[in-house]
Amino acid sequence: MADILVYALHYDGAFNKNSLGAVSEGSRLAAALGGQAHAVVVGDGASVELCATLGGYGAARVYRVAGPEGLAQPVVDAMAQLVGERGFGYALFGGGLLGFEIGAGLAARLGAGVAMEVTSVSVADGRLVAERPVLGDSAISQIEFRGDLGIVIGRLNAFEISPPSGEAAPVEDVAVEFSAFSTRARMLSRGEQRGEDVDIEGADILVAGGRGLGKAESFELCTELARALGPGSAVAATRAVVDAGWYPYAGQIGQTGKTVAPKLYFAAGISGAIQHKVGMAGSENIVAVNKDANAPIFEFADLGIVGDLNKILPKLTAALLARREG
Amino acid sequence: MGAGRGVVPSDYPPAVDSRAEFIRREIDGPDDRIDVGVAIVGGGTAGLACANRLLGLLADDPETMERLGEVPVAVIEKAKVCGGHSLSGAVMRPGPLLELFPDVSREQWRKEGFAFGEVTKEAVYLLPNRRSRLRIPPPPPFRNHGAEVVSVAALARFAQKRAEDAGAYVLTETAASQLIVEDGRVLGLRSGDKGRGRDGEPLASFEPGTDIRAQATVLAEGSWGHLTGAAIREFDLGGDREPQVWELGVKEVWKVPRPLDRVIHTIGPWPLSLRPRYGQIGGSWIYPMRDERTGEDLVSIGFVIDLDYADATTSAHDLLQLFKTHPLVQGILAGGERVSWGAKALPGGGWFSMPKLTMPGAAIIGDAGGMVDTVSLKGVHHAINSGRLAADAIYAALAHSSDNFDAYEQTLEQSATGRELYRVRNARQPFQKGFIAGAPLVNLAIATAGRLPAGRLAWHRNQDKPMFIGRTARRYPKPDGRYTFDKLSSVYISGNQTRDNAPNHIRVRQHVPRELAETWRSMCPAGVYEIPPDAPQHGDIDIIVNYTNCIQCGAITAKGGRLTTPEGGNGPHYQNL
Repeated sequence: MADILVYALHYDGAFNKNSLGAVSEGSRLAAALGGQAHAVVVGDGASVELCATLGGYGAARVYRVAGPEGLAQPVVDAMAQLVGERGFGYALFGGGLLGFEIGAGLAARLGAGVAMEVTSVSVADGRLVAERPVLGDSAISQIEFRGDLGIVIGRLNAFEISPPSGEAAPVEDVAVEFSAFSTRARMLSRGEQRGEDVDIEGADILVAGGRGLGKAESFELCTELARALGPGSAVAATRAVVDAGWYPYAGQIGQTGKTVAPKLYFAAGISGAIQHKVGMAGSENIVAVNKDANAPIFEFADLGIVGDLNKILPKLTAALLARREG
Repeated sequence: MGAGRGVVPSDYPPAVDSRAEFIRREIDGPDDRIDVGVAIVGGGTAGLACANRLLGLLADDPETMERLGEVPVAVIEKAKVCGGHSLSGAVMRPGPLLELFPDVSREQWRKEGFAFGEVTKEAVYLLPNRRSRLRIPPPPPFRNHGAEVVSVAALARFAQKRAEDAGAYVLTETAASQLIVEDGRVLGLRSGDKGRGRDGEPLASFEPGTDIRAQATVLAEGSWGHLTGAAIREFDLGGDREPQVWELGVKEVWKVPRPLDRVIHTIGPWPLSLRPRYGQIGGSWIYPMRDERTGEDLVSIGFVIDLDYADATTSAHDLLQLFKTHPLVQGILAGGERVSWGAKALPGGGWFSMPKLTMPGAAIIGDAGGMVDTVSLKGVHHAINSGRLAADAIYAALAHSSDNFDAYEQTLEQSATGRELYRVRNARQPFQKGFIAGAPLVNLAIATAGRLPAGRLAWHRNQDKPMFIGRTARRYPKPDGRYTFDKLSSVYISGNQTRDNAPNHIRVRQHVPRELAETWRSMCPAGVYEIPPDAPQHGDIDIIVNYTNCIQCGAITAKGGRLTTPEGGNGPHYQNL
């Protein structure tokens, strides 16, 4: 019962970043439990080679199930069958709407306990303990499971991706008989959920602008800096900036926006109120520029610069461009 | 008006036509509406007392119950759960709640988690300055011996469960946006639309509101009722009364290492200014709360200020933070941790500001009717009592197929609530003259149980007071994140979850003189009003309204703005305030 079954979502020939985090986390937890993490991939577009790459993140085995891609109920069927046949103790999801739907469906189907919006999982006495922020993130509840199966659904980007080892996992094709109701829905098209061309959740480097930029034109400085930082960079914003109409909602970070954890978070003119902090505190490195030395962001930034953004940002952009050309 | 005398908030009225916007003059047909027996607007202390009493009476009268239809009692609540927007001190006189739930003892209140112990000791202090204190014998209104420390947010959750078990239909996350009036009679209400965007456009999640037709409508909306205000204008219920005036309270609950053994009130003057020009009147409370379920020692601490002040930089939130730096408070909080925060406006006018409480088809109860005794800081037991008396009168009328609930007003006047509020009828008004000039008259009123000063002392409305930029803000402490906090981190722990792209429910002029902008920025405990850093020092400026920070305290209406019905489900999520 120490084995963990992890759902991995793929789209357009690549695994979703959240899913890679979930596989990495599953493998770490399974090792602590003395078991293995197995991954399940559902969909006709997943090649054996693609599935095998999950081994690089710690999956000991990958089950490939032919069927419709991107729909919840067929995955519930597949996972319910695998749990029934092979006796997993836990099912793990990386978050996102599909993960929530599948996890909740599986819990209902198998009468299992479920913990959603989980930010961290640990092992105590040979069992998993999930941590879930409650009451608007003002308190943390710890959740343990009583039944045979525990379902853990992470908050978006809560689980860190291990550096890929390059190892390939054995891929096993599993035939699943889908329930009649599972095949009633058809996928017509897939795309980014909010329909905007901003992908801040997948970016390694984020340049985020706040009200401290002063005016809409200054927000351009963030865009230019992100461009100079190269591919893998994107621009994000605080609620105040989105409210002011300088940037679309899809790029909003914080309590009521998205939660991100990039390698580098560059905060330009952001005071760092708790409502913003909860959306980006998981970033690996935080660099903040603000003219107010008392801004709360300096309390949790790794590097802080007190100064005028309108002078610092263009210089930084120019220096980066010069280095790339040189 | 009066340059040099300050800026008068009421000279900058927001665009609101209460009767046109909040009264609906037609009702949807039977297929499109919900029919209920009694619709209670607001699932707080008063509304749920009314619901529970009604269901108790109906349980013994199946005939009337039958006549009220499938949904005999409906409660409409805009918070996520009942109590989510409820906040009070609170030391409660226990009688009315014991009468409402005779089967639940005070020991059980504590086990249910809404009551935290009986008051056995009390202390009242004058605070001459930021270091010293002067203990004085408690004046009669501050005698709380035998009362119970409660959380009205938690009490509402308990009362909601009782009401639901007894058959009430509680619609949470539902705002009441319009009162339906036809031919001079209240027919019910319309619930608010949900899922509109910033400009009012329907989003993918749009759900239109529904007409709810009721044989009796009870307005239990608390301070600043959205429909109560419209009803008062529509039926001229304020006719010969004084205008309502308001106070703002900011409250925190702390977990403390050592139990506090007494209730404490301070009556100033510190941290307020004694200068008459500042017009600041206020005080604080510190109440012990022993949570029997967790064994934790908590304290409730808060600061209340009369919204009739004139210094635009007055901020109840920051005054509470400043108050906490006094050695008297530090001795109690040291080593502790803040666990919750919230703010709420309350009616301060008392007896002479209470509107007429009944109209054809409807009645007003609790804070919506102004039933707060701000001399002794008591309103919870009046709210319960008025809800119960309204239930009695409504039940008696409905049993005889009548929509005349006037008996409620008469029994209320003769009840303990009426008597207690009448006794302090003139005890607060003198403070409009300032603390020094007014205090002797207040003492006279209290000492003579209301007989002197005789007659009826007049009021002015809070929003008619000219505002100037004074120096109160210079004394606010810089938040240290341990004992003192900024507004935004406080809003965060209030559990506020207002949808980012909801329509703005706050009506204010956005281009106003600096004095008014500063008044709003300082007053608002939630940081809703922001002055752009590059705004001119003098003259008119454009303020930024961060309405999604709003915790719906209602204070803005006292200083020239207007809170209108927000979308149901938005706002704070108070647990133990």
